[in-house]
Amino acid sequence: MGIRWQHLAAWAVFIIFMLALPEFVSKGTLRTIIFANFLAIFAISWDVLSGRTGYISFGHPFLIGIGAYTSAILSYRFGFPIALSIPLAVVAAMIGGTLFFLPALRIRGSYFALVTLAFMELMYQLVQVIRPDITGGTRGISGVETITRGAVNNFYLSFCLMALVAFSMWLLMKSRLGTALSAIGMNEESVRGSGLDTTKLKLAAFMIAAFVAGLGGAFYVHYLGSIAPRALFDINFLFTIIVAALIGGASTIIGPMIGAFFLTFLLEYLRPVLPGAERYFIYGGIALILYMYQPKGIYEVAKQGWGRIQAARAGAGS
Amino acid sequence: MSGILRSAAAATALLFAVPAAYADIKVGFIGSLSSDTGLSTLRGAELAIEELNAAGGVLGGQKIELIKADTGEDVTEGIKAYEYLAETEEVDFIISGSIDDVSLGWLPRMVEYQIPTLDTWTSYIGIIDKLVEDYDSYKPYFMNIASDEALATLYIDFGKDVLADKMGWKSVVILQEDTAFGGAINGLVSEALAPNAGIEVVDTIVYDVATVDFAPLFSRAVDSGADFIYLISSVNSQVVSSQYVKLQVPMGMTGVNVAALGQEYWEDTGGAGGGISTLSPVPSVGFALDPASQAFVDKYVARYGDSRPKFPHFNGFNAYHGLKQAFAAAEEAGGFNNNSWVDAMEKQDLVLEKDGQMWLRYGFWGRDEVEPRTGRTYPHNARFDITDPYDDGAPSMVVIQWYEDGTSAVVYPEKYATGEFQVPSWVKK
Amino acid sequence: MSQIIIQGLLLSGLYALIAVGFTLIFSIGRVLNLAYGAYLMIGGYVYYHVTQVLDMPQLVGILLAVVFGCGVGVLKYTLLVKPLKGDHVAVEISTLILAVVIQAGIVLVFNDSSKILHPIVPGVWRVGGATVTFNILTAALASWAILIGLYLFVRNTHIGRAMQAVSMDTKGAAISGVDPDRINLITWGISGGLGAIAGVFFASYTQLNPSMWVAPLIIAVAVVIVGGIGSIIGTLIVAHIIGFMEIISTTLIAAELRGVFTMLLIIGVLVMRPRGLFGREEL
Repeated sequence: MGIRWQHLAAWAVFIIFMLALPEFVSKGTLRTIIFANFLAIFAISWDVLSGRTGYISFGHPFLIGIGAYTSAILSYRFGFPIALSIPLAVVAAMIGGTLFFLPALRIRGSYFALVTLAFMELMYQLVQVIRPDITGGTRGISGVETITRGAVNNFYLSFCLMALVAFSMWLLMKSRLGTALSAIGMNEESVRGSGLDTTKLKLAAFMIAAFVAGLGGAFYVHYLGSIAPRALFDINFLFTIIVAALIGGASTIIGPMIGAFFLTFLLEYLRPVLPGAERYFIYGGIALILYMYQPKGIYEVAKQGWGRIQAARAGAGS
Repeated sequence: MSGILRSAAAATALLFAVPAAYADIKVGFIGSLSSDTGLSTLRGAELAIEELNAAGGVLGGQKIELIKADTGEDVTEGIKAYEYLAETEEVDFIISGSIDDVSLGWLPRMVEYQIPTLDTWTSYIGIIDKLVEDYDSYKPYFMNIASDEALATLYIDFGKDVLADKMGWKSVVILQEDTAFGGAINGLVSEALAPNAGIEVVDTIVYDVATVDFAPLFSRAVDSGADFIYLISSVNSQVVSSQYVKLQVPMGMTGVNVAALGQEYWEDTGGAGGGISTLSPVPSVGFALDPASQAFVDKYVARYGDSRPKFPHFNGFNAYHGLKQAFAAAEEAGGFNNNSWVDAMEKQDLVLEKDGQMWLRYGFWGRDEVEPRTGRTYPHNARFDITDPYDDGAPSMVVIQWYEDGTSAVVYPEKYATGEFQVPSWVKK
Repeated sequence: MSQIIIQGLLLSGLYALIAVGFTLIFSIGRVLNLAYGAYLMIGGYVYYHVTQVLDMPQLVGILLAVVFGCGVGVLKYTLLVKPLKGDHVAVEISTLILAVVIQAGIVLVFNDSSKILHPIVPGVWRVGGATVTFNILTAALASWAILIGLYLFVRNTHIGRAMQAVSMDTKGAAISGVDPDRINLITWGISGGLGAIAGVFFASYTQLNPSMWVAPLIIAVAVVIVGGIGSIIGTLIVAHIIGFMEIISTTLIAAELRGVFTMLLIIGVLVMRPRGLFGREEL
């Protein structure tokens, strides 16, 4: 699990390529990439928790939503500066993550997935019922302060955030913690048997996931400039996050990134061809077929393809 | 290896390729392409653009191209759609058939791009409030439907003239959905009903929009002993109204029921919708039309009569007339991308007459103009008239009713009425 | 009071019908079919199209709805569940994607406006301060009849006993000559049919709408969680707990908190008693 120079070189190439991108592509494309960046952050957060440990979270929008709502409410209703509201939002999301963690002490598998789904639904209903004068109720809040304006600035901001999250998660997952988390996903009992405290490990995974989700959610709302319960605590949003992580390749860092870019661009590039409702149908259909073809994701497909090319070349060479 | 690199480069180029199509003037449509609401606006705009192009184009003979961006009634998709129109298609003007939270979602983008935008469906006063607070940022925004706050005012008049004076009703139970819209309307109505119409609010029931079974709520309403139910429902409205009909609740029900605003209501409820009455923006179902609007409807039906919505909803009219006004303003101002368009648009004033009297008016409240009855300003909101005899514009809304035989009529105000307010046959008078 | 009991019984009957098909799959395969709500949607829309657009008799509508539901269930098993070889997570995710695809498909075919079904049996009955539509009464009675039928089927027929065996121990069942694959296929078919018929009744209560699959899924999830992987009887009991809780909270406490109570119950039970109130590892 060591860090090899090839990996760091790949990171450097990727980052330089992306930073140079605004020179070559249109602003409309940059806007699409911004959404892909945010989706990648959410998918990475989901993957740290669910892809590794096998505790499938159907409530990730709950964590993202807490981050987004906290920051939006603090800055819009109470005039907090963004520099203060975002850290507070991250803290709130981590508290939410602790709530999430409690059921994980006792239940796992499908039951855990269901309870997290219930968390999301509960939040959806509560946001509308409790203090709609603060949350904006069903209509949400519009006109939340944005950090910067324009496609290029927002592209840099979102990309830097995404790259930072992705790189630090990559480093973290290369550490012994990452190995232990993946081991929990494979067999929790044997990890416990080998003398590690699985509760602490799981708590770490939940806190990291909540931190990233809250951070992403808070920046996301200050990018969008508006927030509504239907946009966040929604099965379609959940669907996009999970599918991005899985279709790209769970238990990797590059996988969720590939998945996020693939899904966002797929939906956006279908727009001129299929303007109407067909678009969502085809989009979902492609996601389903891809997932059925290789549940391990595009990363795995590419790896196998690369392996086959290598094998063919080796065969031709001999 | 170089082959792989080259194809990768080609693939990258393909991935980021910009779909380029250059027309002279581009109009963007933002809304749902699979809802009656969105399609009404889209088709109204399509017909207006066709007419403008057929008449030799606009702004010195340029042709208009319409670009559609679907929101699927999803807030985030709405933001993406607005960005697509603004930055990929670089449209000059946007016409919207969005619902409340979708409009609120893309509004910060409009502030950023400053593209002239006309909203034809949402009537949320909160958007107009944003213009009052920060005019310079929001000024490219126009809403050519009367805001929901004015709607409540008309309802109070209806309560006094018809419900209290004619039906003799003295008390009401309010059945309100748990949404921001429901809360706002309830606040306005329940505050003004007692002092102005002499109708006392005896109970208020707030319900969850996902309620499956309304039987217990109607039981509570009946037990309250009120004379009638005032319903406020914009989400899943057909559920509550059809259960009212199916349960034959023995008291009258009126109010706001968004599902009943379109001509498809009868078909969609399979007839379980008789007796329902609701406030509706004009031109509503059952509304007698002036010749210009009638000509639009004839064209619409000939063109789209085979697919839903077979008859334009009110926002279809707003889009048709509003788009023409936007281009008239552009002609005066010499284009869309300057402040002069906003000034010219503010001054647009289309008066549609029927039988020699003012019937509908498409104009806007000026920035500082105070509406006499509510005593506040409504910058860039449709110019409505909430005082009898409605000689300054159309009333903000009318009250319509669906009868048990599937016909519908405007029942209030008097000037526009085509039928009478009735309680359903199962309600004892 | 009598009104709460009547309305509670009727709503609970509907909820039991909604949940039973979901429980069936969960008991046998231990997988969550997140596209379960789509059966209800498909059933409702098929019934609507047959009876209200094509003007055919109601019985034809119900039969076709069941046929479609079974068909989708069988297809789902053969095309999704079987290739994924019982990988729970993969099945859950793929059914979630499928549900979203079906929703988009419904929007495509029927447009996204809501539609109301004619009452299956028109008319009302006023009893003890409550108004009961014959439609709802029919739904509740049909639900009871179907549940009793299902119970007898599972207890007394060869296939039913095989289903019980698979639900207790798949490998053991396979050794004793039961083909788990065939039993699974049959169960998915039955579950689809039950879902579709529940959809007809659910839609006749509420409405048809492309996002209507979420609400019944949550009801089914609530019943499964609170009840645990339980018996058909357990489903029935828990459906009554949830149904009555809902009627009581809307009538006496606060109607707007209807959904909140259900969610709190789910979370509470899961944290306190992860196996549910009646958790038994058999059908």
